[in-house]
Amino acid sequence: MPKLIIDNREVGVDDGATVLDAAEELGIEIPTMCFLKGCKSSTSCMVCVVKVDGLANLVPACGTVAEEGMRVESNCEEVRQARKAALELLLSDHVGDCIGPCQITCPARMNIPLMIRQIAAGELRDAIATVKKDIALPAVLGRICPKPCERACRRNACDEAVSICLLKRYAADVDLQSANPYMPACKPVRNKRVAIIGAGPAGLAAAYYLRRDGFNCTVFDDHEKPGGALRYAVSQEELARPATPAFDQTRLRRVLDKEIALIEKLGVKFQGRTRVAITPGSIEDLRKDFDAVFVAVGRLKPGDAGSMGLETGPNGIAIDGKTYRTNLAGVFAGGDAVRNRKLTVRAVADGKEAAVSISQYLSLFPQGGGPGQTVTGATKAFNIHIGKLKDDEIEKFMACATEGPRVRPSREDYGFTDEQARQEAARCLHCDCRKAENCRLRQYAQEYGARPGRYKGERRLFVQQVQHPDVIYEPGKCIDCGLCVQIAAEAGEKLGLTFIGRGFDVRVAVPFDRSLAQGLKRCAAQCVASCPTGALALKNNPKSPNA
Amino acid sequence: MDELDLTFVEQAVDKIGTGREKVLEILQAVQGRFGYLPEEALERACELTEITPASIAGVATFYSQFRHRPAGRHTIRVCIGTACHVQGGGQVYDAFKRYLGIGEQEDTDQQKMFTVEKVACLGCCMLAPAIQIDDVTYGHLTSDKVSAVLSDFLEQQKAGALQADKQEFLKEIKDLGEIRICLDSSCVASGSAKVYEALRKAVRETGAQAVVKSVGCSGMSYLAPLVEVVLADPAKVGLIGTRRCRSSFRYAGIQPTDARAIVLRHFKPKQIGQKIKNTVSTMLDKILTDRAWEPVTRYSIDVRDQPVASFLDKQLHIATEHCGHIDPVNLDEYVRNNGFKALQRCVSELSPEEVIGVIEHSGLRGRGGAGFLTHLKWSAVRDSGSKKKYVICNGDEGDPGAFMDRMLMESYPYRIIEGMAIAAYSVGADEGYFYIRAEYPLAIKRMSEAISNCQQRGYLGNNIMEGGFSLHLKIAAGAGAFVCGEETALMASIEGRRGMPRLRPPYPAQSGLWGKPTLINNVETYAAVPWIVRNGAEAFARLGTSSSNGTKVFALAGKIARGGLIEVPMGISIRQIIEEVGGGIVGGLRLKAVQVGGPSGGCIPVELAGISVDYETLNDVGAMMGSGGMVALDESDCMVDIARYFLEFTQNQSCGKCTFCRIGTRRMLDILERLCSGQGRKADIEELEHLAQMVQKSSLCGLGKTAPNPVLSTVKYFRDEYEAHIEKRCPAGKCKALITYSITDDCIGCTLCAQHCPAEAIAMTPYQKHEIDAEKCIRCGTCKSVCSSDAVKVQ
Repeated sequence: MPKLIIDNREVGVDDGATVLDAAEELGIEIPTMCFLKGCKSSTSCMVCVVKVDGLANLVPACGTVAEEGMRVESNCEEVRQARKAALELLLSDHVGDCIGPCQITCPARMNIPLMIRQIAAGELRDAIATVKKDIALPAVLGRICPKPCERACRRNACDEAVSICLLKRYAADVDLQSANPYMPACKPVRNKRVAIIGAGPAGLAAAYYLRRDGFNCTVFDDHEKPGGALRYAVSQEELARPATPAFDQTRLRRVLDKEIALIEKLGVKFQGRTRVAITPGSIEDLRKDFDAVFVAVGRLKPGDAGSMGLETGPNGIAIDGKTYRTNLAGVFAGGDAVRNRKLTVRAVADGKEAAVSISQYLSLFPQGGGPGQTVTGATKAFNIHIGKLKDDEIEKFMACATEGPRVRPSREDYGFTDEQARQEAARCLHCDCRKAENCRLRQYAQEYGARPGRYKGERRLFVQQVQHPDVIYEPGKCIDCGLCVQIAAEAGEKLGLTFIGRGFDVRVAVPFDRSLAQGLKRCAAQCVASCPTGALALKNNPKSPNA
Repeated sequence: MDELDLTFVEQAVDKIGTGREKVLEILQAVQGRFGYLPEEALERACELTEITPASIAGVATFYSQFRHRPAGRHTIRVCIGTACHVQGGGQVYDAFKRYLGIGEQEDTDQQKMFTVEKVACLGCCMLAPAIQIDDVTYGHLTSDKVSAVLSDFLEQQKAGALQADKQEFLKEIKDLGEIRICLDSSCVASGSAKVYEALRKAVRETGAQAVVKSVGCSGMSYLAPLVEVVLADPAKVGLIGTRRCRSSFRYAGIQPTDARAIVLRHFKPKQIGQKIKNTVSTMLDKILTDRAWEPVTRYSIDVRDQPVASFLDKQLHIATEHCGHIDPVNLDEYVRNNGFKALQRCVSELSPEEVIGVIEHSGLRGRGGAGFLTHLKWSAVRDSGSKKKYVICNGDEGDPGAFMDRMLMESYPYRIIEGMAIAAYSVGADEGYFYIRAEYPLAIKRMSEAISNCQQRGYLGNNIMEGGFSLHLKIAAGAGAFVCGEETALMASIEGRRGMPRLRPPYPAQSGLWGKPTLINNVETYAAVPWIVRNGAEAFARLGTSSSNGTKVFALAGKIARGGLIEVPMGISIRQIIEEVGGGIVGGLRLKAVQVGGPSGGCIPVELAGISVDYETLNDVGAMMGSGGMVALDESDCMVDIARYFLEFTQNQSCGKCTFCRIGTRRMLDILERLCSGQGRKADIEELEHLAQMVQKSSLCGLGKTAPNPVLSTVKYFRDEYEAHIEKRCPAGKCKALITYSITDDCIGCTLCAQHCPAEAIAMTPYQKHEIDAEKCIRCGTCKSVCSSDAVKVQ
């Protein structure tokens, strides 16, 4: 029974146990991709490398047998660098998006493809939950948003973009008209108060998400009613660019009222006709009663911010771009007050992201937190993207969508009917990864700060094989770990899977160019579950967030 | 298309067997029959055997020997080994494809006449750039010779291919003189088979008292076809002091037409009638060709001549003992020359432990590259518990620019067998394999013959030499995968799997072929063993340096006057090898660097040419012994291009298993390609170094771990050239995208360049200076090679 030392801790393991087993014994986590308990380790991904004293090279922990007296370092700089390099190399040969181009382009980063799949499956309650996770006022935005997401939609290359905005409006409208509109679960109330100055889209969004997080929020506004520019803007140009043809401000206000009512129902206090003085010290005064302040006052007159003691930049109040912090402690700012760009969806996104920073700040305040604990702002989810499509790749994407042009509502200012919404939703290409939430390549890439664009080479063509009834195979996401090859062989598949080719061109495929349906007749689900990336995934599973 | 006749598959399976490990053999048989691997045939094979579809499809696509679409009637294999690369092999490849109108993604012409392939190395480095059309090799090619080569080949086809009956070697008769000629692959490529035929004809017709004998290679490839005449007359013994042989004369670069003159010069015809006949025919020759004796004297060389003496003086023949003297597959002759004495001594006088002791004292280290102490490997296998053990001879020499193992196997098959038998005796193995790469058909043929001769005479088989020890040897032919030189991949290949290396430990000594303890040594290692046993460990240990004992065989090639196979004592300096053995650089330029160790090795700059050739010193300067390729590079060789060349090779040969080798080498190559095409970015050199270090440190097997060596060593010693490429300059004038061809005022207006330019970039302007249209120019170098007045300039 050999004893060895990993990261200065001793552990004894059974004969034949690997360094990975020993680390597990110690509770030390070593990242692995090609390794799966119960399968023969292929030692191919090299993400689990560790440093063994006395060896010049690094060795894979999953295949290195523990020996008496071995000294192993599992997380030193050398090891981390090599793992990062392995991940960056794998990413450099990865064809597929983690997040769809629409979602990446949406300032609020709303999970559009998921919402669309939920609409297509008729799971409307799930759809509105998905929407409201990132957009606090979807019914309003469904009417005035200039839809940057639709410009990014990959389907443009084929015919027309999916009508994302109308689908969102549909989800929101159905919800608002329902007997009990969607109310998110709020975390238990915490003994912390946040003052939000300005009841426009940024302020309302911040209040919504802070309330969800368990904070007491009071929204101050000099107008009588909340809504800010959404309610009091003089012209539609101030609200939406480009102007929407069938814009009706009265109707918009009605929808706005309903969405604000839901926010108030959540427990957000609104205090109208209250003007925070544009004088030095007015914000500090507010801080006496509140633990944090979010300034979302809309466009400021020159000098106003300065008068309140806030530093300014060319576009308004100066903030740290990632955390929305101003120069004053505990004071955050967002929306049109900080940027020279009227875009409601951006303001809503600001509110949501500032809420994350404020929440972080309040969990550290007033103790200030331990070393390394600071306000970092919302974490940007790791993403790798295909970029510009080549040749006829768009046709490959079309494999999962219905053909035909956009479905149009019967009148320009109308939304979708149920049927129309479902039809339009079926046009979505499913550009996002079906396994984005459980892809280990993505998880480790995020953890190790791997840069997807570090090594540039000619990329492979996008391919997806959809003949299998349940499983979709995207060779461009395969890391050649061979787990599925092994599983298929052990399951006694007649054809099974094999490695085709050699070197950089190695691909996993069914022998003799047969389809996946013929290759995997028995163990497809097991192969999907074992696949460390999104190469093998279940085709349709609207319940799980990314299937 | 006609329905395939699959009865052949059934016959092949009947003959070969149905085990899973037979997959390579079956595939080779199928390809031999159909010229490619038809899917129906593979599926049929799966039905008839234990081989699964996954296995057959995986194996068939792993090895580059296998084709998946029909090939042309003839296959043109263009060598892109190191020596050929530096002499323009890539341009020759382009020229063939261009001439035959084969598109970029295609490899066969429309008429399905020729398939053009690149081959890693034909092992004919002295003929560089070389190509092979089916069995015929052409050397010293240039882009403009393509049509001449093709028409020559087709004419020869029409005339009926030359039938060199290499099988019927004449037995040596003591009283006769000998006319020796090497018939190994590269010498045959130089025309030695035709000369051999002509000599036999001449002997037959003149009745000369001589035998024409095929012998193992002398190594002097640069002189091929080389004929040595050894006279029987004892009075003339001792003419050449340095060599232990009878009076001998050597003739270099012989043509078949010279054969008769050579025979007549040394051997008097038996009968008077013949004498007259000879005189008459010589007179006729004189009238017809007007060159009677001159050609012979012109070609005649002698060991006393300075160049040859230098080529041989610094050498020391252990693995290549009796080089150029003995008939490769003549077992009697091997036995007469002390053959199997070492094995005899081992089985009758020494215990296995004692033999290992001898090897230990000799200090012999593995000649395959890494230089692991041989006796340690042997002891490990000896000490392993298992009853069943294997010995393997690694003959999968795949380095571009290396051909030592080929020559050893073609020239000294018995010595390798003897060494391997001694090893098997020492470690306790009773079964073994020769793994020989598919590109060496003659080596496979001669080794097979030698094995079967040994079996018949009791040197192999049961109870060898009455010593109670048995050994059965087989041959496993590779199928075109450089990575199979890695021992775990090699074993996977013998077992009928894709040649993928696995993590070591366990080492083959613990768990090798089919999970049994296995000894794997390189060809050259085994070849040195009999000499050590016969001459004693001390004799071997005295040679070389303190840590690298004995001699090392190198394949010397590149921009050198005399290249070929050489065996030199360890510790000799690189400069001595290049200048004294190799005769220095040809072509008027200066030596810039020496590439040692092929794709695993590195480039040693001329400033370091004084270093000693031994394992440690080579490692210290960032190179490696590797399997012993040594290529001299001059000022016209671009070091970035050399790094790119080697990386392209390793990247192409990567098995594709581990991330660092599969993708890492590809990304390194991307950067190098960018540099060579003028797309380099400022941070590229640092990024390349970083990536190289990562690949070196974390790849799974030796191929990946050593793949960055050519890059790291060139970055280290020639960083200025890398920087120049970022500034879009190629100082050596090699990288196509960074150079332009132009014609100087030396042009005499002969129009040759315009006639030959395949891109019509030169307008024909007789008696006037020609101009090259830079837009149309494809930088193939044809104009430069055809120009009669050296008026084409590359910048």
